[in-house]
Amino acid sequence: MKFNQTSMGQFFRAASVLIILGLLVEIVSLLWFHPLSFVLFAFLGAILIGLGIVVYLASLVFAPIPLSGNRE
Amino acid sequence: MGVTGILIALIALTIVLAAAFLVRPAITAGIAGKILAFAALCVLPALCIAMGMSFHMQRSEQTKFCISCHSMEAYGKSLYVDDAKHIPAQHFQNHRVPPDTACYSCHTDYTIFGPFKDKLDGVKRIYLQYVSTPPNPITIPGGFKNAQCLHCHLGARAFQDNPVHATIMDTLTSNQMSCLTSGCHDTAHDVANISHEKVWKPGT
Repeated sequence: MKFNQTSMGQFFRAASVLIILGLLVEIVSLLWFHPLSFVLFAFLGAILIGLGIVVYLASLVFAPIPLSGNRE
Repeated sequence: MGVTGILIALIALTIVLAAAFLVRPAITAGIAGKILAFAALCVLPALCIAMGMSFHMQRSEQTKFCISCHSMEAYGKSLYVDDAKHIPAQHFQNHRVPPDTACYSCHTDYTIFGPFKDKLDGVKRIYLQYVSTPPNPITIPGGFKNAQCLHCHLGARAFQDNPVHATIMDTLTSNQMSCLTSGCHDTAHDVANISHEKVWKPGT
């Protein structure tokens, strides 16, 4: 169980970092009134957030599940 | 609290929750933690992207946003020309289009994916502005289509009852004859002579 939690934890940390960075970029793009703000949002912020979501979802699918001792 | 405030509050909440999973990923050991993780790392970020996209789409419809680009400054000034022959100025000053979204009203493609197509065109123009060289003079690819004018004017009494319009209605609706370049309403954004034009100042 420890191995599973550690692996999942790494996925969650990576997803959290990507999402937080993306959201910070989004805040900057919202407050910056400039034609480039949309580019900043769409090509950096949204991609970082999207990657974070993908990493989170990947953790649900690909994180290794340990063999539980009491199953045998 | 405006839309921006709500969106920033949502983003702040998402950051706080995501930070909790960054510091203590073990929170997800229980069922409640798993549900919270799904909300914080999937649902809320997706909502932030959707609301952010909607916010940016709406903001890019604003006149002040369009003319915030250096190349568009002269076009923004042309909205204040004190001459009724200048079509954009006449529409803007008399509120025939919403003044806050004047550029968008006449230049958007009135189709289901029109705003998205406009957004892509806008990204191309940003590329020209910051990476390549903006064309001089700025032109609309494919020309200005009558559909932009007819979106509002078609069916309007003053337009329909005008004998000139009635005579050439088919050529106007089929875009065979341009409203702007056929000699009828040919003064649009005359940016080449903008410095010589008399300017209207709101409130005077």
